[in-house]
Order: sequence, then structure tokens, then C-alpha cells
Amino acid sequence: MNVIECKNLTHYYGKKLVYEKLSFNVKEGSILGLLGKNGTGKTTTINILNGFLHPQNGECLIYGENTQNLSPQNKARIGFLIEGHVQYAFMNIHQIEKFYSKFYPKWDNAPYWQLMSKLQVSPKQKIATMSCGQRSQVALGLILAQDPDLLILDDFSMGLDPGYRRLFIDYLREYAKEKNKTIFTTSHIIQDMERLIDDLLIMDFNRVLAQRDVKSFMQEFKQFYLELDDPSVDISNEDFVINSEKVSNKLELYTYESEDTILNFLKNNGIAHKNFRQVKMGLEDAFIGLTGKY
Amino acid sequence: MVKISRYILVFTAIIGLSVVLPQFYRMAFEKPTKTPLIQYSCIDHDFMIFRPDADDKWTNREGTKLTREAYEKKLPLMYTRQLVMDGTMPDSINGQKINIQHTGIFRSIFRITPDEIHAPKPKLYPLFESKSGRANLEMPGDFFRITWRMEFIDAKSNKILEEKSRMFSAVLYNRGFKFPAKSINGIPTTRKSCDEGYLVIDSANQLFHVKMAKGVPFVRKVDLPGEMKFKTIQCVDFSDQLYYAYLFTENNELYVLTPYDYMLEKFEVDDINPDEYEIRIYGDYFNFNVITIGSGFIRTQVLNRDHNKVDEYTETRPTYQSSSEGKLAQFLFPAELKITDDKSSFVNFFLTVSQSYWWLIFSLVLIAGQYFIIRLQKKKSEPKLLT
Amino acid sequence: MWKSILYKEWLKIRWFAFIYAALGILVVGNIFLKVQHDFEFSQAENYWYSILFQGNQFYEYSLFKFVPLLGALVIALAQYFPETVNKRIKLTFHLPLNENKALLAMMLFGAFCLLAIAAVLVVLFTGLSGMYFPSEIIQSALISVAPWFLCGFTVYFLTALIVLEPVWKYRFLYLLVAATLVPIYLQTAAARAYSPALPLLIVFTVLLSVALLFSGYRFRKGEM
Repeated sequence: MNVIECKNLTHYYGKKLVYEKLSFNVKEGSILGLLGKNGTGKTTTINILNGFLHPQNGECLIYGENTQNLSPQNKARIGFLIEGHVQYAFMNIHQIEKFYSKFYPKWDNAPYWQLMSKLQVSPKQKIATMSCGQRSQVALGLILAQDPDLLILDDFSMGLDPGYRRLFIDYLREYAKEKNKTIFTTSHIIQDMERLIDDLLIMDFNRVLAQRDVKSFMQEFKQFYLELDDPSVDISNEDFVINSEKVSNKLELYTYESEDTILNFLKNNGIAHKNFRQVKMGLEDAFIGLTGKY
Repeated sequence: MVKISRYILVFTAIIGLSVVLPQFYRMAFEKPTKTPLIQYSCIDHDFMIFRPDADDKWTNREGTKLTREAYEKKLPLMYTRQLVMDGTMPDSINGQKINIQHTGIFRSIFRITPDEIHAPKPKLYPLFESKSGRANLEMPGDFFRITWRMEFIDAKSNKILEEKSRMFSAVLYNRGFKFPAKSINGIPTTRKSCDEGYLVIDSANQLFHVKMAKGVPFVRKVDLPGEMKFKTIQCVDFSDQLYYAYLFTENNELYVLTPYDYMLEKFEVDDINPDEYEIRIYGDYFNFNVITIGSGFIRTQVLNRDHNKVDEYTETRPTYQSSSEGKLAQFLFPAELKITDDKSSFVNFFLTVSQSYWWLIFSLVLIAGQYFIIRLQKKKSEPKLLT
Repeated sequence: MWKSILYKEWLKIRWFAFIYAALGILVVGNIFLKVQHDFEFSQAENYWYSILFQGNQFYEYSLFKFVPLLGALVIALAQYFPETVNKRIKLTFHLPLNENKALLAMMLFGAFCLLAIAAVLVVLFTGLSGMYFPSEIIQSALISVAPWFLCGFTVYFLTALIVLEPVWKYRFLYLLVAATLVPIYLQTAAARAYSPALPLLIVFTVLLSVALLFSGYRFRKGEM
């Protein structure tokens, strides 16, 4: 069953096209990571999902309801982490827990207080006076206490220490898989995503570059390294080349094709080369390979 | 709900702008018009007109130009001091010997404007002692109201003076007064020559004269001819002591109440509407000038001392609406909303709808212009699809 | 749930509400300190006379005219400005409530606080007036101060509209509209002069109360 269904989303800011006819689904129990460089429409998508933006065309459904008019019942099933871990900064941790607890029938404050106990904050300290990391804990703790079926996390790793980030991701994955939660997330730190997400959606300016499960993507998307004898040879326009980086005669080649196909192509076209090898990639490397460094 | 809030915003903007825009326009472009001074000459038996903003400032009714000196000489009872100074004051007028002191007694000036009538009126009044035996009037320590009875409230203690209240209420009741009072009219100040108390209209539209003499109530019912209702009763304190008050009736007639057995005498004038016009009554030894100033006209009706009409003169005046800037305003603004008005001291919403329909055309032009601007912008920003 | 919304609003405005109430009480106290002084120094009957016939408005003494306006402005800012920091209003809209109802609850709570403080001030004012003045004078004073309190509500509703509006250009336009409306309530006028205008002003003020919904709608539509 699809928790999120977005169909034919088209949106412009003034004259600037963000994307056209974007469609994607998120299945129940899966964890989808939305990846993209800045300005490719990640926040736009999140805003549409949360009903804070009317797309010019198309629609998004969450649990079958248009996100522009979500019913209170459905909103209660969605946990929403705003970019920057924005929360009511004029409250302290007790007040904010008291505030939110009344809204959600499944409210369970145990995970919240567990997280809070690790923070070095005084009970009456306003959230506004906390550090970035502490604030992120509060926001995450509240979402966990809400026990939503769908978590929409906009750049959750922002402001987290590397160690804690790792811990949190592992915890989150464990939690999601155990309780069959659906997660839609974006993050700047793609490294972490590899441990967390099942599916990915990689966006570039105006288009979607990849939309599939992570495992098959990591298997099929490859990087090859070779050194050309003739540095002037240019194969970057070939169909199978997704992306290439060339520094003098050293060529990095990104493709979905197999090693044999590439070698055959080089051979058939008489391109002399040496040191040909496949390079092992992490998700971040693959992301950069797909979207380019710039 | 959101739709309603949008309409409310539009409505609010319309209200705000129809107050402010015409107001700004007026402040920028409205020009003052000065009212001429029209006086009846007892010498020429003609109207003398002083127009402060004209080239020929001093003229008579026909428009014959006069010098200032000649003009003032035609109005000896008005410019007496100037004429005496110049040595040109006549000894006799119309065959009557003139004694300056004596004629001075008969000079009276009265003025009332619509905003004085349409104004919040106090509901408490001081009742002076009219026979105190002192030269000057003294402010009493209490104030009265006439509701279900006549009550005096002591200012110092803020308590009702029971005995005095009962005494006055009983006398009023015995004279046939129907409580409560509809209006209480007097001159509530110590700066007058003597006190004549108040003229009170009761709930049955009867007129009573109420005053206090040596601590005792004096109440007298005034006989009114037929069903007479008043727009306003204005008590006067003129040096000739011939009248208690000017009374303006609902059918725009003017009466005076005289102390002679409370006789009501009619001024032979018409269209005296204090709701709409500023009214000035200048009395002198020979005549009364009853002047009504409305929007677009000034009219003087002259009576002799027996209250019979002698002559009258009307002059039209330019108004804001008839001026070119006023006409342009009618073209620009469908309506003007004011919260204060010249004719009222109250704050209210005074709406003047444009007399012409030119504003409709102007608005349509604006709408069309807006439409084309929007279309042009849309065309320009028609997104170029990247394929 | 709704109680929780009120709790959040209360956390935001409580200190400002106390300050407004305290300031209002001080101003009312100040007015009657002056009245008491004037009663001693000029005779009571002369003081009454100056109120009845010379247009002396004892209650206009000091800032009373502008206290409800300032109080409403402060409370509205305290209530709505924190919602706009980092677009925090998203949190409210994401709560399992109807968005418009959530905004209305916020507005009603703020308006209720203003009303409660106004009630305290008016009761205090009337009570103290009762020691010095007859009902006619008190009544006319109450009618005269009524538009000032109404102005407070109007300023509150308009501030909510302006602060929640996501686009600066619109905020400026709304500000212009507000600048044309607010003076309507604050004309210098004789005592009781506002009595014919009050019913319409009340209707108008009540209508404005829902104005903030439009800003909320524009925010949710994604205007920026």
C-alpha cells in the first residue's frame, strides 16, 4: 500500500521551473530518502507534502487524502520535523511535552524523556536558549513520542554530532522496521542515508535523476577509472555515460552499464587506455557521480 | 471562512480608502469660500453687502460700489463707534432722534449652527438662585436632572438632596408637568446679567419655565398655540430684556418668548431650519436681520421691531460640489465617507454618494487597465518549459 | 486539544498581558489621583461644571486613550510574532486540528484576554467614577472611552493579519489600510459624541476579527 502518492507535480517559482510532472510513491513501511543539491526542490516537495504549498499542477496524497486538505485524523498519523528542528522556542521541555501530549492519542512520553535525560538542560530552560544539538533532540524526541505512522523528516541530521547521528540513524531504522513505520526524509549528509534508507529519489534541477531502491541502485550504478593514451578523446556524450570527470588523461566514468559493455565499447572504437578498473562507491560517491560535483 | 475573511478585507479597504482618499483630495485642492456679510441699512432701506474675497468689497444690493466709509455710514447702528470717532454719526435716523446709549440697548446678536443642535447635550444643569440679592450670580453646589422627578445632586458628596428634590418635583407635578423632561434649555453660566432659569419641555411636549427664587421653586406653564414642537429652544440674555428665548419649531418657524405674560410671538420669516442652516439674528433699534446660511446660499430676511417682514435678499454661493475641484472629486470617487460632519458634533458615518455617474466610467477604465496589466504580466511570465 | 492551544497562547502572552493590565490599572489610578486632587483644589461643583459644560474630559488625562491600543499591539505581537520566526506557524498548522479553527482559537483567546483586561479597567474606572460623579457623567465617560477600547481590538485583529501575512508587499498594503482605519476610532470629539457611531464600529470590529484567516490561507498556499 502506498502511504504517499505524488502525481504529476509541476511547480514554478515565478518563472523558474522547479520540476515538471514529478511522480513518486512511498510504500508503507519503507524509508525513502530525497536527495538533491540545494535548490533542486527538496524543500518544495516537503512543503507540498505538508500542505504549505499549492503545486501549480498535480497533487500529493497521503493516506489517500490530498495534502492540501489533510483531515486532523490523518495529520495525527504524520510526524513532521521542520528543517532546522524548529519548535516552540518559548517553551521549556516540560511545557512542550505537556502541550503536544494532548493532541495525539498514541502519545508515549517514554522515548522523549529518555532523550531528554541525556541532555544537560535545566528543567526550566527555554528551548530558545539551548544549543542546536539540544534543540534537535527535543524535536526528534517529540516526534518519537507522537508515535506517528509516517515520519517526514526535513534534514534531520542537521546539528547532530557524528556519533550521535550514527546512533540516531540506527535507532530510527530499528524503530521504523520494528513498528512498520514509513519515513520520508531529506538530508545533507548522504553518507548517513546509506544506513537508513530503502529507496532513494535523486533530484537535479528540473528533473529526477534516479528513483529506485538503494540496493539495486548501488549495484547497477558504477564508477570506472581509466587513463587514456590520447587525452583529447571525448566520450562524455555517449549514451551509456551518465557522468564523467576528466583531469588530463585520467578519466572517471559513471554508468549503469556493465564492465564488459564499457570495455567492448573502448575496444570497438579503438580508444587506447590503461589501468582500467571499477571503483567501489559509497552512496555519497554515487550521488556526486550522478549529479556532478558542481 | 477564508472567503469571508477575504471579502471582509476588501470591504475594510473600501471603507478606509473612501474615508482617506477624498479627505486627502480635499486637503490638497479645496479652496475656502468666504460668506458675505449682508446687512440691512436703516438709512437706504436697502441691503449693504460686504464680500471679503471680491474686488468690490463693499456694495449695495444692485452692486453699486461703495467706499468703506460710505458703507459704514449706511449702517450707523452697526458701526456706531467708528462713526462717532469720525464725527459722522447722524443725530436722527428715519426722523427719530438717536441716543447712542439708548439704541445700544436694543442691539442683539444671536447665532446658532447645526452642529450645536446635533450635539451631545448635558443631562445635568445648575439651577441658579435668581433672586439672591447679589450683583453676581454664584455657582450652586448642586446640579439637577429631570427624570422621573426633579433631582438635585450635591457635587461635593455626590448624593441626592432629598428635600430640595421633593420640593421641586412636587411643584412641577402640581403644575401639570409630565415627567421626564424631553429637553432642558437655559444659559447655564454665571456670566450673564441675571438668571431666568430654564425652559423645559416635558414628555407631553408642554413648555414650562422653571427657576428658583429665594430658594423656592418658581414653575410656570407656557401656553402654546396648538400642537407645537420645537427643534430647539435657545434662551437669550439681551440687554433689552424683551425676550426669554428664540424658539425654532419643527415646521421651520421662528418664535420669541416674551416675559409679558409669557406671550409667544411669531417672527414673520420662513424656512428657518436650524437642522440644516446656520442662523444668525441681528437685532437693532429698527430691525431684525434674520440670516440663514445653507450650502450654496445666504438669505437675509429683514423684520421691523413688530416682527413683520420688511424685505429680503438671497444670494447663491459657490459650493465645493459646484466647484471644478469638487466636480473632479465626483468623477474620481464614487462616494465620500466622513466620520465627522460640519452639521453635527457627533461622530458617525456620513456618506455622500457622488451625484454624477462619471466615476463609474473612471472605475471601468481603471479595471480595464488593471486587466491588461495582469494579462501582460502573465504573458511575460509564461514559463518557458525546459525540455 | 483546544485547551492545549490556549496553553500555548497563554505562555506567549502572559507577561505582556500582566504588563498591559498593570499599566492600565496605573493609568486609571493616575486619572483618579488627579480627580481627587482637583476636587480638593477647585470646588467639586466647579469641577462638575467644567465636565458638563466646558468639555473637560477628566478621563482623557494621561495616556488612557492610547493604552488599549498599545496593550493590544503588544499582545498581538507577543502572540503572533513568535509564530512567524522560522515559519513556526507550520507547527500549529500541522497539529491534528482544522487550520482555520486553530487560528480562530488563537484569535479568540487573544481577544478574550484583551476583553478581560478591558473589563477589569472599565469596572475599576466605573467604580472610582462612582465615588465622584453622578451616573450621567459616568455614562458619558464610558461612551467616550468605548471607541478607544474598540480601537484596541481592531489593532489586535489587524496586527494578527499583518504579522501572519507571509509577503512583505502585502504587509505594507495591510499597514496602509490599518492606518486609514485606526484614526476612525480616535477622533478628538466631545464627550458622548461617538454614541451614534458605536454600533457600526462594533460590527466593523467584530468583522475584522476573522481577517487573520486570510493570512493563514495565503501562508498555506505557499505565498512567499
